[in-house]
Amino acid sequence: MERLSLLRRFSLLLVLALGGVAWGQRGYDRYLTPAEVEARLERLVAQGGDHARLVSLALTPGGRKVWLLEIGKEISAARKHLPAILVVGDPEGDVPLAPLGALYVAQQLLETPGLFARHTWYIIPSLNPDAEMHFFNKPRCRDPRNARPVNDDLDEATDEDGYDDLNGDGLITMMRVPDPQGSWVVMKKDARLMRKANPVKGEKGEYKLYTEGLDNDGDGQYNEDGPGGTNVGINFPHLFRPHRPDGGLWPGSAPEAFALMKFVTGHPEIAMVMFYGSTDFCRVPPKGGRKGAVDLNRIKLPKDVAKQFGADPDKTYTMKELIEMVKAFVPAGMEITESDIASFLGLGAMVNPLPDDLKYYRELAEKYKEYLKEQGMDQERLDPAPAKDGSPELWVYYQIGVPVFSMNFWTLPKPQEEKKEEEGKDTLTTQRIGKMSKEDFLALEDEKLNAYLKAVKAPPQFDAKKVKAMVQGGQLTPKKIAEMIGKMGGGPDEKGEEKVDPKMKALLAFADAHPGWQGYIPWQPYEHPDLGKVEIGGMVPYADNTPPATMIDSLLRGQVPWVFTLADSLAQLHIEKTKVEPRGGGVYQLTVWLSNDGYLPFPTAMGKKNQHVPPAVVQVIGNVAFLEGRDWTPVNSLAGKSVKKLSWLLHADKPASVEILLTSPNAGGDKRTIKIGGAS
Amino acid sequence: MGLILLVMAGPLQGQDETQPLTVPLRFDHYYTYEQVVEAMKLLHRTYPSLTQLNLLGKSEEDREIWELTIHNPETGDILDKPGVYVDGNIHGNEIQAGEVCLYLADLLLTHYGRNERITRLVDRNVFYIVPVVNVDGRYHFFADANTMHSNRGLRRPKDDDHDGRINEDFPDDLDGDGNICMMRKRDPNGKYRTDPSDPRLMVRVGPGEKGEWTLLGYEGIDNDGDGRINEDAEGYVDPNRNWGYNWAPPYVQRGSGDYPFSGNAMRAIASFMMDHPNIIVVWAFHNYGGMILRGPSTKQEHIPQADIRVYDYLGKNGEKIIPGYRYLISWKDLYSTYGDFTDFTDNIVGSYSFVGELYRIAQETYRSPSSGGKKEEETLFGGEDVERTRERLKFNDYVAMGMLFKPWKPYHHPVYGDIEIGGWMKMSTRIPHPFMLEDLVHRAASAVLFTADQTPEVKMTLLGKKKIGKDLWQVRVRLSNEKAIPSMSYISVNEKLYPKDMVTVKGPRVTVVAGGRLLDEYTGRTLYKEKKPEIQFLQVPGFGHTDLQFLLKGKGEVTFLYRSRKAGSRRMKVVL
Repeated sequence: MERLSLLRRFSLLLVLALGGVAWGQRGYDRYLTPAEVEARLERLVAQGGDHARLVSLALTPGGRKVWLLEIGKEISAARKHLPAILVVGDPEGDVPLAPLGALYVAQQLLETPGLFARHTWYIIPSLNPDAEMHFFNKPRCRDPRNARPVNDDLDEATDEDGYDDLNGDGLITMMRVPDPQGSWVVMKKDARLMRKANPVKGEKGEYKLYTEGLDNDGDGQYNEDGPGGTNVGINFPHLFRPHRPDGGLWPGSAPEAFALMKFVTGHPEIAMVMFYGSTDFCRVPPKGGRKGAVDLNRIKLPKDVAKQFGADPDKTYTMKELIEMVKAFVPAGMEITESDIASFLGLGAMVNPLPDDLKYYRELAEKYKEYLKEQGMDQERLDPAPAKDGSPELWVYYQIGVPVFSMNFWTLPKPQEEKKEEEGKDTLTTQRIGKMSKEDFLALEDEKLNAYLKAVKAPPQFDAKKVKAMVQGGQLTPKKIAEMIGKMGGGPDEKGEEKVDPKMKALLAFADAHPGWQGYIPWQPYEHPDLGKVEIGGMVPYADNTPPATMIDSLLRGQVPWVFTLADSLAQLHIEKTKVEPRGGGVYQLTVWLSNDGYLPFPTAMGKKNQHVPPAVVQVIGNVAFLEGRDWTPVNSLAGKSVKKLSWLLHADKPASVEILLTSPNAGGDKRTIKIGGAS
Repeated sequence: MGLILLVMAGPLQGQDETQPLTVPLRFDHYYTYEQVVEAMKLLHRTYPSLTQLNLLGKSEEDREIWELTIHNPETGDILDKPGVYVDGNIHGNEIQAGEVCLYLADLLLTHYGRNERITRLVDRNVFYIVPVVNVDGRYHFFADANTMHSNRGLRRPKDDDHDGRINEDFPDDLDGDGNICMMRKRDPNGKYRTDPSDPRLMVRVGPGEKGEWTLLGYEGIDNDGDGRINEDAEGYVDPNRNWGYNWAPPYVQRGSGDYPFSGNAMRAIASFMMDHPNIIVVWAFHNYGGMILRGPSTKQEHIPQADIRVYDYLGKNGEKIIPGYRYLISWKDLYSTYGDFTDFTDNIVGSYSFVGELYRIAQETYRSPSSGGKKEEETLFGGEDVERTRERLKFNDYVAMGMLFKPWKPYHHPVYGDIEIGGWMKMSTRIPHPFMLEDLVHRAASAVLFTADQTPEVKMTLLGKKKIGKDLWQVRVRLSNEKAIPSMSYISVNEKLYPKDMVTVKGPRVTVVAGGRLLDEYTGRTLYKEKKPEIQFLQVPGFGHTDLQFLLKGKGEVTFLYRSRKAGSRRMKVVL
C-alpha cells in the first residue's frame, strides 16, 4: 500500500520536474559563489512575492551573511500552524553542489503550484559561505574552515603559513619529496599513486608527502597555519570534541552554528531537517555501534551511592527502579525524572541511533534506491561520508528529535573491475576475515585457516581449533582477529598485490573516462626553495565530490525531488472519529480517536527520549464538568500510521456544544464540534 | 505572631530604599538587585581612578548585568596583569554570593593606600567582579514569595512537565507572607508525628507507630489542574549548566538549556572572558554547605596532577581561612554536572577555578560549652538529624529572634481542605541571618585574596653571560616565579589552549645562533630549538623557574622580552 502511493508520488514529481522551463536556462550549469547564491536568492524571493521572504541569520567572521529563504503560506505569521521543513546546505562549506541543491528546492517550490501548500519551507543554501569561497579562489584549495583567525600552530603569528600555488596552476595539490626518512613509496602498477611503505615486508619509504606550499614562517613546517578558522560543520553540541584547532572553542562558538541552533530551537514547527553536504542519511542511516552507550536497563551504582540508597553495588538496576528508589529519599512532592538520575550518576548522552528509528531509515533507503533506479541514477558510487562528531546532522537527530535526512549528490562512481576482484578469491586475507560474520568464520576449513594463521605468524597456540572456539564462545570476533593481526603487521594483502586507495582508483578511472575534466594533476618536477627537487601533483581539490558542471543539472533533477516525498511521509495528526455515549444522569463518555496518517512517527524514537519536541495537545472546550480526564490532554507520541484512543467522562446538565481541538507543534492539527446531551 | 514576623522580616530583605547607600558599604543586611547595582555605581563614582564599570549585557527580562573592574592603571595595562575574576549569585536564590562580591570590591577600594597587603594586590592584579550573574533570579527572589531553594534558574520559558504549557504552575503564596513554606495536614495514616520536645517539628513514624501528619510539599495549588502541584515554575534553565564545555542536553541533565550559551548572561560573560584573556583565577560563589570546590565536574574529565598540586595548595589554605569549610572535588564529593561554569573556565579560559559554597547550617547553634564536639556534618541528600533541627529551632527563637522559622498556622486549601502552613522561611537555611553576614563575606573575600596573592609573579634575571668565542656569547636567562600559580595552567599547556609564554631576543648588532631550554644549569644540558631560536615558548611553573640558554653572535645591547597571556610582560637588557 505504502509503496504504491509513494511510487505514485514519484511519477507525479517526475512530471513536475520535466515540465516547464528548460533546465539550462535556470542556471544549474555551473557552480555559484556565495555572492552569486545571494543574487539568486534575491531573484527567487522576488519571484515568490507574498509567499517568500529572505532573512539574514548570521554574519560570518568573513563578513558574509548566512541567508535563510522562507517559502510558504504563513510567512508573516508569528506562530506557524503548518509544519515546516528546514533545508540546510553545505555545513562544511566544501561541497559546491550543496548550495545548488538547496536553491533547486526553492525554485521547484516556487514554480510548482501547490507544492508548498502543506508546509512552510526554510531554506539555508549555505551555512558556511566563508569556506565555500575556497573553491572559487585562486589558488583553489579545499578547506572547511570559516574566516575566523586561529593560531593553529600556537606560535607568535596567526594565519601566517597557508598554502602556496608554487607551479601556478591555480590548484593546491601535493608535493612529493625524495627523503630517506619518508614513509611513502610510488606504486608499481600506477606511478601516479603513492602508498605507505610496509616495513614488515622489508620495504623502505622513499618520499615525504606535503601539501603544496612554502614554509612561509620558517619554522620547519609546511602550510600548518593557513587563514581560518572554524569548521562550522563540526561546531555542534552532539559529541563535540573540544580543543581541536578547527572545531571552534565550544559548540556554537561559530556564529553560523549558533544561529542555526537558535533558529531550530526557536521554531518548534520544524518537522524535518534536510542537510545537503557530505553525508547521505537517505542512503546510509546514522552510524551505530559506538561504545559508551548507556543501557538504561542495566545501570550500576557506585559503591557510595548504593550505600546511601540501601542498594547493592554489584547489581544492575533499571531506570524505573532507580527512580522509585530515590523517591523514597526526597521530600514529598519533589519530582524525580530520568534526567535527574542520569545526570546525578553521570550517565552521559546517547551515542547510538535507536533501533526504532533505524527501521524507518532503512525502509526509506530502500525506497530511495528504487526511486533512483527509476531516475536512471542507480550507478554504484563510493559511499558517502559518515556524519562527524559535532556535526549538525547528529545534533538534530540526537537533541532535536525530528526526522533528519541528508544527501550528498555525488561521489565518484565505483570502478567496474573492483567487484570482479572481490569475487573468486580463495586465499584467506586479513581483510576478508575482518568482514566475515561469525557463522562464515566458523564455517572455514581448518586447513585453510591454519595456513593463514601460519602465514601471519600467529603464536603457535592459536591454531584454527582454538581460534574458532574463542569465536564460538564470544571472546573473539572475526573483526577483532583482523584488527589484532593488522596490528601485528597486516598479513598477506589481497593476492599479494599493492592496495590502492579506492578513492584514488575511482578518481583515476573517472578522470580517464572524462578527458576534458581536470581531476588529477600528473606529478611534475619543481625546484622548491627549501626542499630542493620535488614533484607537484595529485588529486585536484574537490575532484572527489564535485563533478563536471555539465552534470549538475541532471544530478539535482534526479535526486532533489526526493525531499518532497519525504515531506509527504511526515507525521500528520488528525481526529479520526469521535463518539459520545450517555451513561445516564447527565454523564457522558466521550471517546476520541486520534490518528497519525503519516508514514513517520510523531516524534522520532530519539525525540521521545530527548523530549525536545513539545507534545500534541487535545483540548476539550465547552460547558461541561470533567469527571475523568482533563480539558487539556498532552499526547507525547503517536506512531506512524497508527490510531490512539482517548476518553473522558463528562457531566453536562444541559445540552452542550463541545469543541475538540487538536494542536501540535509540527504535525498539524484538527478540530471537531460535537453535541453532548439534548435529545437523549 | 504573623504580623510581628512580617515586621521583623523587613531588615532581612534589604536596606530601606529611602536610606542612601554610603561608602564603606554596610554588610548588616542583604542588597536587592537594584541596590547591588546602585552600590557598584557608588563605588565607581567614589573611586573613579581605580575602577571601571562595564555593562556586560542584559538578562532575559532586560535587567542589566554589571561588572566592576578594579585595578590601578598607573602600575600597568589591565591585560598585562594577572586577572582574578569573581562572581556570584548565578543561582538566583544564592544571594549572599552577591554580598561577598560587593564586600571584596569595598575592601579593596576602601583599603587601597591604607593597607599594605591590599595596596599591593590592587597594584599587581586586576579584579573583575560580577556580583550578580542571574539578575532576574535575584530580583525575583526578593520581590516574590519563594522557598530558600526556589528561583534558581534563568527566566527562559521551559515546559518542565512536558505538557505543552510553559511555566504555568508556580508555587503560590497562599497566606501572603512573602514566603513559600510547607503544607501539612492532620492524617492518622500520615508518615509523620509531632516531635514530643518541640511541637513545631515533626519526626518520621517508626514501623507500627501511629502517624499524625501528612506532608503536602511546598505551599501551592494545582494551577494547571493536572493533579500536580507547583511542577512547572520559572525556567527551568540552570545558568550553571549552560556553559560551552562538556555541555549535555536536557535529557541527560535537567536544566541545561536548549544549547550551550542559550542564556544571555552566560553568553555575555563568556564574551567578556574572551576579551580578557589574562584571567587566571576564577571564583564563583554559591550557597550552601561550606565548601571550596574544584573541578573536574564529571568523572570522565581530567585535571593534570601538576595542576592538582596548585589547587591543593590554594584550597587547603582556603580551608584554614574559612573555618569549617571543606576543600572538595565537584564530581567526586558532590555530584556530576555538565556544562558548568568552572569547567568552562578551567578548560577554555585556562584559569584555576573555585566554587565557594557559602554558609554552613552548623553555625546555627544553641548549646552549652560542655556539650563538646558534637558532629557538625550536614548530610547533603538525606536531610538533617532531628536533634540538630531542635537545636536550630532554639537558635531561631533565641538568637535569630524567630526570623527563620514560620510557626504552623491553619489554612483552608481548595484541594486539601483544612491544612497548616509553616516551616523554614526563604531567608533561612541557605542564607545566614544578617548578624553573621559580615564574618561570612570577610572570610570568603580573604580566601579570594589569598589566591590573588598567589597569581604568578614572574621575574626575568640574567643567570649567566660568558664569552665562548670571537663575538660569540653564551647567555643564560632565568624566569622565576615565587608564587604558587604557574604562568599558565597545565591544562592550557596540554590541551594547547593558546600559545605558550614567549621570550624573544633582539639586538641591533646581534644574531641568535642557537637558543633553547637550559635543563641543568650545572651540566649545561640544553634542549635547543631547531628553528627560529630567537623566539622561545615556555611555561613558568609555580614556586619554580624555567631557564633558557642562548648563543649570541655580535656585540652591543640585547633585549629579552617575556610576554605571557596571564602573567604580564617583562623586559631585560644585556650588553655584550
